[in-house]
Amino acid sequence: MAADLDELKAMIERALPGSEVVVLDETGTGDHLRAVVRAPQFEGIGRLQQHRLVKAAVRDRFEDGTIHALSVTTLRPDDPA
Amino acid sequence: MADQELTERLEQLISENEVLLLMKGTPTEPRCGFSLRTVQILDRMGIEYGAIDVLPALQPLREVTSEISDWETFPQLYVKGELVGGCDIVEEMFASGELAETLGVEQPETPDTPESPADLPAQSPPLDIERN
Repeated sequence: MAADLDELKAMIERALPGSEVVVLDETGTGDHLRAVVRAPQFEGIGRLQQHRLVKAAVRDRFEDGTIHALSVTTLRPDDPA
Repeated sequence: MADQELTERLEQLISENEVLLLMKGTPTEPRCGFSLRTVQILDRMGIEYGAIDVLPALQPLREVTSEISDWETFPQLYVKGELVGGCDIVEEMFASGELAETLGVEQPETPDTPESPADLPAQSPPLDIERN
């Protein structure tokens, strides 16, 4: 089953209300995805915890084997793009 | 529930190695692009580090690291007993100089991460070959 980029984006946005999310298919093969997430929830927490929040949001798609690798870039609201 | 013996063994290795990388494959023969990229960064830092190939016990180790570090994907870099992160975080920290600080070494002279194919956007169609 191919990964649905829009669904992943929606899952992250639902878990992190107010976030801006872009999900990219880096290789065009659907198995190396990158999520760039800017979220107010990242204020005051470290990178590890930021990444945990994003991974947790899409955990179901890892567990059902839809996605194998998701690179994550996290940004706080005031970080430069 | 993670295997207790494996958990204790891993915790021991994490405490015994100041810098420890859990990776797919070995530093000389990485078996995954993310592990390769992390190894390349550690090598540029010029430090000694322990490396464990997780592939022979991938699922049990996933369960262990999930419990002890709340992190399920590999590679995982541990420094002084603490999880630093996976490939993405290591790359970001390398670029910003935080990794050198964490490791207590000097930042290598050319701080730019070499562009690996995985960093580049998907290749354009062959038309691009004619560009020049």
